[in-house]
Amino acid sequence: MTVDVKTLHEIERRLIKALANGKLTFDILTQKTGLNVDQVRRGVEWLKHKNLVNVNEKITRSLSIGSEGVKAAESGLPERRLVNLLLSIKEIAIPDARKQSDLDDIEFNVAISNARTKGWIKIVDGKIVLGDSITESNEERLLSRLSKEKLLVDMLNADELTAYQLLKKRPNFIEEIEVKSVEIELSQNGLAIVDQVMKQTEIERAIDVSAPAPVIYPGRKHPLQDIIDEVREVFIGLGFQEIDGPLVQNSFWNFDVLFTPQDHPAREMQDTFYVANLQANNVADRKIVNNVSSIHRRGWNYRWNIDDARKYVLRTHTTPVTIRYLADNKPDESRVFSVGRVFRNEKLTYKHLAEFYQVEGIVVGSNVTLRDLMGLQTDFYSKMGMRKVKFWPSFFPYTEPSLQSMVYYERLGKWVELFGMGIFRPEVTIPVGVKNPVLAWGGGLERIAMLRYGLDDVRELYSNKISWLRSVAKCQL
Amino acid sequence: MPVVTLYYDRLKKLVGKKGLKEILEMMPYVALDIEEQSNKYVKVEYNPNRPDFSTDYGIARALRGMFGIETGVPKYQQSKGNVLVNVDASVKKVRPFIVSMVALEGRLDDEGIRQIIAMQEDIHEGIGRKRKKVSIGIHNYDVVKSPILYSTENPSSKFVPLNSNKSMSMKEILENIDVGRQYAWILKGHKRFPVIKDAEGNVLSFPPIINSELTKVTESTKNLFIDITATDLKAAEDALAILAITLYEAKFKIQTVKVNYGGKILETPNMKETVKDLKPDYANKLLGLKLNANEIAKCLAKSRIGANMGKNSIKCRIPRYRIDIMHSIDLVEELAIGYGIYNMNATYPRSSSAGARDTIMSILDKLREGLSGLGMIEVMNFSLVSKEVQYSMMKRGMSNILAVEQTKSIEHEVLRDSLIPSLMFTLSKNIHEPYPQRIFEVGKVFFANENNVKEYWSVAGAIAHKDADYTEAKSYLQALLDSLFNIKVETRAVTNVILADGKSAEVVFNDKNIGMIGEIKETIINNFKMRVPVSVFEINMSYLLKI
Repeated sequence: MTVDVKTLHEIERRLIKALANGKLTFDILTQKTGLNVDQVRRGVEWLKHKNLVNVNEKITRSLSIGSEGVKAAESGLPERRLVNLLLSIKEIAIPDARKQSDLDDIEFNVAISNARTKGWIKIVDGKIVLGDSITESNEERLLSRLSKEKLLVDMLNADELTAYQLLKKRPNFIEEIEVKSVEIELSQNGLAIVDQVMKQTEIERAIDVSAPAPVIYPGRKHPLQDIIDEVREVFIGLGFQEIDGPLVQNSFWNFDVLFTPQDHPAREMQDTFYVANLQANNVADRKIVNNVSSIHRRGWNYRWNIDDARKYVLRTHTTPVTIRYLADNKPDESRVFSVGRVFRNEKLTYKHLAEFYQVEGIVVGSNVTLRDLMGLQTDFYSKMGMRKVKFWPSFFPYTEPSLQSMVYYERLGKWVELFGMGIFRPEVTIPVGVKNPVLAWGGGLERIAMLRYGLDDVRELYSNKISWLRSVAKCQL
Repeated sequence: MPVVTLYYDRLKKLVGKKGLKEILEMMPYVALDIEEQSNKYVKVEYNPNRPDFSTDYGIARALRGMFGIETGVPKYQQSKGNVLVNVDASVKKVRPFIVSMVALEGRLDDEGIRQIIAMQEDIHEGIGRKRKKVSIGIHNYDVVKSPILYSTENPSSKFVPLNSNKSMSMKEILENIDVGRQYAWILKGHKRFPVIKDAEGNVLSFPPIINSELTKVTESTKNLFIDITATDLKAAEDALAILAITLYEAKFKIQTVKVNYGGKILETPNMKETVKDLKPDYANKLLGLKLNANEIAKCLAKSRIGANMGKNSIKCRIPRYRIDIMHSIDLVEELAIGYGIYNMNATYPRSSSAGARDTIMSILDKLREGLSGLGMIEVMNFSLVSKEVQYSMMKRGMSNILAVEQTKSIEHEVLRDSLIPSLMFTLSKNIHEPYPQRIFEVGKVFFANENNVKEYWSVAGAIAHKDADYTEAKSYLQALLDSLFNIKVETRAVTNVILADGKSAEVVFNDKNIGMIGEIKETIINNFKMRVPVSVFEINMSYLLKI
């Protein structure tokens, strides 16, 4: 099986080039290629897998200097120390030499024996006589190298091998360790492509572009805020002004002005959060209060009580913001929207939260119609990427007629109920002084976020798991 | 929202002429949401303004209209009966109103009885406001002797309650029987309880709690006596009318009952239609349609509303069970439903003005942008938080807190007055994530101020890693405020219960305290089971921006 040279990784190419002249160990490969140890190991594995190299295990002997060797390297071998004594006097009686040298008895005997063998001295009539040629011995050369570095037996030349044999006989001069090493050589297949590889020089300096880079995390907005901002952008694109208002409202603006009777179940504490021990002195402009009081009496046939309207409630929808805007501005024509938190006294479950986001938009105009509301809604969804919409009649206490919208969600392949909508009842708009019809629609945003981010449990959105916040894609394609 | 179970075989029979598929497809277009489907039944959710949808009789009636099988106002007949109910003045204090009717010669099978009982329960919940406003008693008429007396009795007086075999006092019933305990709150504080007795002194009912065993309705019961007691006469009449019409459609003959309020006689039920005007222009203008009076009449007829042409308006005859139609706007919706929402095409009105962000929201957007640019991650916590996290774990005092009433969860007890505890909580949930962690939150904070609640926009940041300190927090804060507003703030040493002494400052701008910055005390970090130091800042944006 032949390998296309172009497919070889930069690391592989560098290894093949280094191996072109013969087998090498890992260490040498690392030195020669300039790669790090891991890269060499990985590269060799890849090449082995492609049958481009053979990997052979080999035992090598490594030499280092022993304790006696260190002394000898510093002050000379015994024979050298003996010869040094003779350099000026040329000859000396053996006992005198014994006394004058700093050698002990054993060393002295060794020195005599070795100096004779090397021809540095002769023994003539009980005297030591200096020989003719006193050159540096092989043992000394080897010791001098070993004092600087470790050597492999296989790497020694003939003289050094002899010296090594000799020194080995002297105790503690040399330490020898057996090392298992691995040698890598090009296989037949490797040799076959080596010339091609050598020619590929142009990308020699490229880095390992496929290696993973260290992870860094960007700062970012919350994924739900991304959805909120997208919704706001769509509203603004449709010509709506953004408005904002308090989360804590008195019941008058949350319920009464919206024609919700005071005994309506939605007003019960088990559905709605009331602020404990606090009531509003002044709920609204007196004229509006009177209008609302009488419309409740006429419409629902009971005595409206202002004390119920004083209770502070955590708003159950964004509509109090909208209706306050209408009461304050009494516009003939207007488009406004509001996004914000709303509250329901619910236990947290996978599909219910006690606090969540709602968006609401209204259009005031002399000629606005229910069909316009359907159109605005269709436009809105389409800009959010949802193109199939259908409408069903529905019911909300303060709108009439009322519709709910169903949106086809492509990714799930099913229809999902989204925003509710309607035209504000005259019982709502007339008391606050708005003459023209008001189209209104809105709903929770968490549903859209769950669909967008593929979540089954709405609580996930508020769990603030940093791993999730870091990982969720900002652009959901 | 209330749910009604509809069996296919009955429903098909009641609607007639149409297959199941068409029936199910039409349901959403009369505002019925399909909740659950099996091969025998469908469960649908109806809106609480339509108690007439609480049985298959009512739903079939609406569908027959939509399909054109039977349109316009249904006709109902009733005859005068002889039963008299005398009302004793003592009921005024506890439950002042009663209306009544008799239904004869009907035959209800098991499912028929189940539908009527389900309707009774739905009316109790909805119009009846959990029986407080309206409650219904259904009796076997054959054992009831007229005249009947609606009066009050001492709680110690006894009778045999429904599904029991022994006589009990009303007090015992409220204490010992499930239904008694469930509704005892309605009679709380009253010394005498309402009781309905017949001519022989037998107790028929103890409203709004329970009937007597004596008048129990079974499968073999053919003739019914019905009482409705209430705190609101109109609601009682509405409920009785809906019940009467449903029983009429279940083939009962309806007889009236005379109710004598101290000489003033009220004859019930009233099944007569009411009349309201609808101006064609008004309806067309709101719906965006151009229908003539005849077309409007046809659409209304499909919604079971009668229409007689007047000069400038259409006189609409509204069946008595449609208690939700209060205003001509409600007729506009009936017109739209009869026209068919599926027939209405959307129109796309152009905006005459440009849209724009709210000024404050726009500044908050830039805050988020600025903090993200500094590498911080935004988190979102609730405004309504637990006392434990907001105060106890932070070692903060609980004076002047804003609590909510009757929360269902201790996670939602108080409105937060600072974002920092939520950030600490967030960090404590993420101790297994890699550090450094730098997070921020933008949210509302709340304070009680005399009889008002003050709320402000706030921004807070928290930095957690082994070297997090005051200086780093200050670097982030000053980078933020400088890049957003080009302002420099002062930081003045101050003690703060949550911040380590000597590493705590107030943030001052134009001589006003607008926030805090510092290192969280080690004891607090331990409370959150964290092992790295945390430094924080929080700025009241409303103070900074003077809004």
